[in-house]
Amino acid sequence: MGQVARFLEEKGFSTVTLTNTPEFHRQVGIPRVAAIEYPYGRPVGQVHDQDGQREVLTAALSVLENAKEPGQIFHLPFTWPEEPKKADWQPSEISPIVKLNLDEIKRLGAEARKKR
Amino acid sequence: MSEASKVVDGFLFMPPALRAWISKDIPDETFSGKIPWTPLDKSISETTFTLMTSAGISMKSDPLFDMEREKTEPAWGDPSYREIPKTATERDIEVSHLHINTAYIKQDINVVLPLARFREFEKEGLIEKLAPTCYSYYGFQLDPTALLNETMPQVADRMRQESAEAVLLTPT
Repeated sequence: MGQVARFLEEKGFSTVTLTNTPEFHRQVGIPRVAAIEYPYGRPVGQVHDQDGQREVLTAALSVLENAKEPGQIFHLPFTWPEEPKKADWQPSEISPIVKLNLDEIKRLGAEARKKR
Repeated sequence: MSEASKVVDGFLFMPPALRAWISKDIPDETFSGKIPWTPLDKSISETTFTLMTSAGISMKSDPLFDMEREKTEPAWGDPSYREIPKTATERDIEVSHLHINTAYIKQDINVVLPLARFREFEKEGLIEKLAPTCYSYYGFQLDPTALLNETMPQVADRMRQESAEAVLLTPT
């Protein structure tokens, strides 16, 4: 999505990217980032939580007004109400690319556990 | 840590192995290249918005995003886009995505494409307008060449036709 934001800014649109993964900014260079610590697939908030969604969106819109130079990251202060493990954001079936790379993913996971 | 100084951990919800695999391609250093920039030189109450998500949302009347080809070619992701009218609700849509649980979007489209919230903002005068058309593409794009060279120019033209000035992007 960072690449798309860059494309649209080049074409004369102001963008704000409401992202769960602001780390990608280091890889891509995203023009305006509103970072939110919510599960993947629900960056605006919980199902049917109209007030909570409005709060997040109002904060994202204020990033659009307050960002004065490209590449600033604004970390939004919201906290997801469930334990991360209970957020149930993953697909019911492992995605094709993860399935293809499962051995490497498991190896990296084992290495990461050793380092901790 | 106080709320005001929160630093978002983009991998909080991710199993450690997946985190290690995805973050291996992300540099440790801050991005130092040039970043394109269109300043917003007016208040949001005078600005026409559109929305775009990479959640793989399509109208029931339109073709689905192609998940079948990705199942046989795991590095390929459908590079096309779909238009979603601003009046759409979860009853009007399908969601195609092999990398997230799509159930929540089918219950409430606003968790990722906040059409109803932006219609409220328009009515309340917080924004000038939500353009008639919003957009979805499919977020898994290991090679974004077709998305950027073929799809997005069409999207930008449509946005310009409808006088959109600012875009809220919601990745998945």
